[in-house]
Amino acid sequence: MQPQVARGIADTPTARNMAKAPNRARRQGGRGWSYNLTSWLGLVPFLLFCLLFEILPAIIIIQGSFTDDTTGKPTLDNYRHMLSQASNLHAFQNSIAISFVTALLGGIIGGLAAYGVYNLRAGWLRNLLIGFSSIAANFAGVPLAFAFVATLGVTGFVTVAIHNWFHVNLYDLGFSIYQFWGLVLVYTYFQLPLMILITLPALSALRPEWKEAATNLGASNFTYWRRVGLPILLPSLIAATMLLFANSFGAFATAFALAQGNISLVPILINFVVNGNVIVDFGLGNALAVGMIVVLLIAVSLYTAMVRRVNVWQGR
Amino acid sequence: MSIGGTSAGIPQRAIAEINPPRKNKTTGRRIFGVDKLVLTLVALYLLIPLGATLWFGLDTGKGFDPSTYLRIFKDPDLSQTIITSLELALGATILVVVLVTPTAYWVQLRIPGARPLLDFLSLVPFAMPAIVLAVGLLQEYSGSAGPVINYLSLGLVPVLSNNLNIINTPPLLVCSYVIIALPFVYRPIDNSLRAINTTVLTEAAYSLGSGWWRAFLTVILPNIWPGIISAALLTFSTVMGEFTLASLFSIYTFPIYLNVTGQNDPHKAASLSILSFIFTLVCVLGIILLVRRRPAGLGKDGQVEIAAAK
Repeated sequence: MQPQVARGIADTPTARNMAKAPNRARRQGGRGWSYNLTSWLGLVPFLLFCLLFEILPAIIIIQGSFTDDTTGKPTLDNYRHMLSQASNLHAFQNSIAISFVTALLGGIIGGLAAYGVYNLRAGWLRNLLIGFSSIAANFAGVPLAFAFVATLGVTGFVTVAIHNWFHVNLYDLGFSIYQFWGLVLVYTYFQLPLMILITLPALSALRPEWKEAATNLGASNFTYWRRVGLPILLPSLIAATMLLFANSFGAFATAFALAQGNISLVPILINFVVNGNVIVDFGLGNALAVGMIVVLLIAVSLYTAMVRRVNVWQGR
Repeated sequence: MSIGGTSAGIPQRAIAEINPPRKNKTTGRRIFGVDKLVLTLVALYLLIPLGATLWFGLDTGKGFDPSTYLRIFKDPDLSQTIITSLELALGATILVVVLVTPTAYWVQLRIPGARPLLDFLSLVPFAMPAIVLAVGLLQEYSGSAGPVINYLSLGLVPVLSNNLNIINTPPLLVCSYVIIALPFVYRPIDNSLRAINTTVLTEAAYSLGSGWWRAFLTVILPNIWPGIISAALLTFSTVMGEFTLASLFSIYTFPIYLNVTGQNDPHKAASLSILSFIFTLVCVLGIILLVRRRPAGLGKDGQVEIAAAK
């Protein structure tokens, strides 16, 4: 009887609390309002910086899109202007199409290539490919544009080689690096390695045991992928594709250097409206920018939703 | 052969023996499947433009001439713009590391509740690409931002735009680069901080009598060094190639010079592109060599994060 009682007392919450009392008391006092305030003070430099150079630019764009440039009065004219001109809508159409196509191409081909890297037995080759992908994914913008002019431009290496070997001139066939499909090829150059880099960690979530279990139960390779592999990977793949979409939707330098503004994309149009020699129309620029933000917000929220799902699934 | 290697192979082989017709198919796929074929094609797709650019830069129309690569260095604009870009890159790298690292540590240690806010702030640049950010900044610091913005900025915007005249200056460009770099700076540093036991390390340092700054500088910082290096080199590499903001702020950097050159002389531009590629190569190699050996790396796969400023 007695030992039991003793244990009973020792186990009561009060006894445990007494033992930890000094610690608890200090913490509780520390968690008070003033403690919290000093904690938040440590964030002030960073938050102030973000406010000045990240949040306020966004606010001023949204505010400016509803304001008349000359009178400063609230108006919807900027949006009316944007929607009434076919060229603006065409730019949005082009930008979305090019981002969608390159994200899909990058997602599918890059995803398969990532699986190839994942399956490589040789560690050195794996590391080499990952390293090379990092370089290629970061090799974008103006240098990439001129690299493609050197490759597939009118006198580019590959254009000339195809002409010499097959006696076919790509530019006679209607291909041009300066137009939609040419730009798709250029954007795909940075989308593919990006996809490989994003997808590789996700692939390591696939356990070999699952494949073995499926095979033991008589599943073919195809059935395994349809019933096990793809459903597991799908959220990661969608998240990665959304990132690729956002990546090419916001791209400006590559397209600008390549076509010098002769291709209709939203970033190029914004640059023309805001930075142009002839007219400067910040109102329209703001409305176009808000349009871009809206499209990107959809992509980014899909991305975060998918990442959250992956994290829940993998218990991270 | 290692045990790990054989154990993965056994079930496959067992199935193949039970079901002979499938054997060739499976083993065939093992050696060179669709994924390997696609990987080879992708590698070719990534390599061909580089080779072509190298060739195009050497080719002057009258055969090969390696001296073209020396020719590009004769232009005084090249060294001048490279120096400008280096200065901007150095400024942005230092500022972003100094700004983000103590903040991430502080959040981890004292206010984990603020993490969603930091996650949000480091995600915003995805939804606000460089061109949009530039349009916003140009209006914000033009000196006529309006009362709402002035109040929201706690009176800082009028000071910065009217008294310091920050618009179209390198300091503003550096600050905007910091924002662009946030997504790929905050993540590796935060991951590194999570990988080490920040609280325990800090409390150990406190109990040995060190203060916050000393704990941060002598205990935490050496442990998260790999994350910081990778973030810093990525920022550096991105800023060296950034075109959009520099173009809208009319600051003559290396990418702007490259763009101007490319309009007149594509061969010279090809050589300069190779130069730019070598620069990226050095930065990424730096990350791989400096980071791979350290314990608290970038992530489980030790892979390099990617800049998103295209």
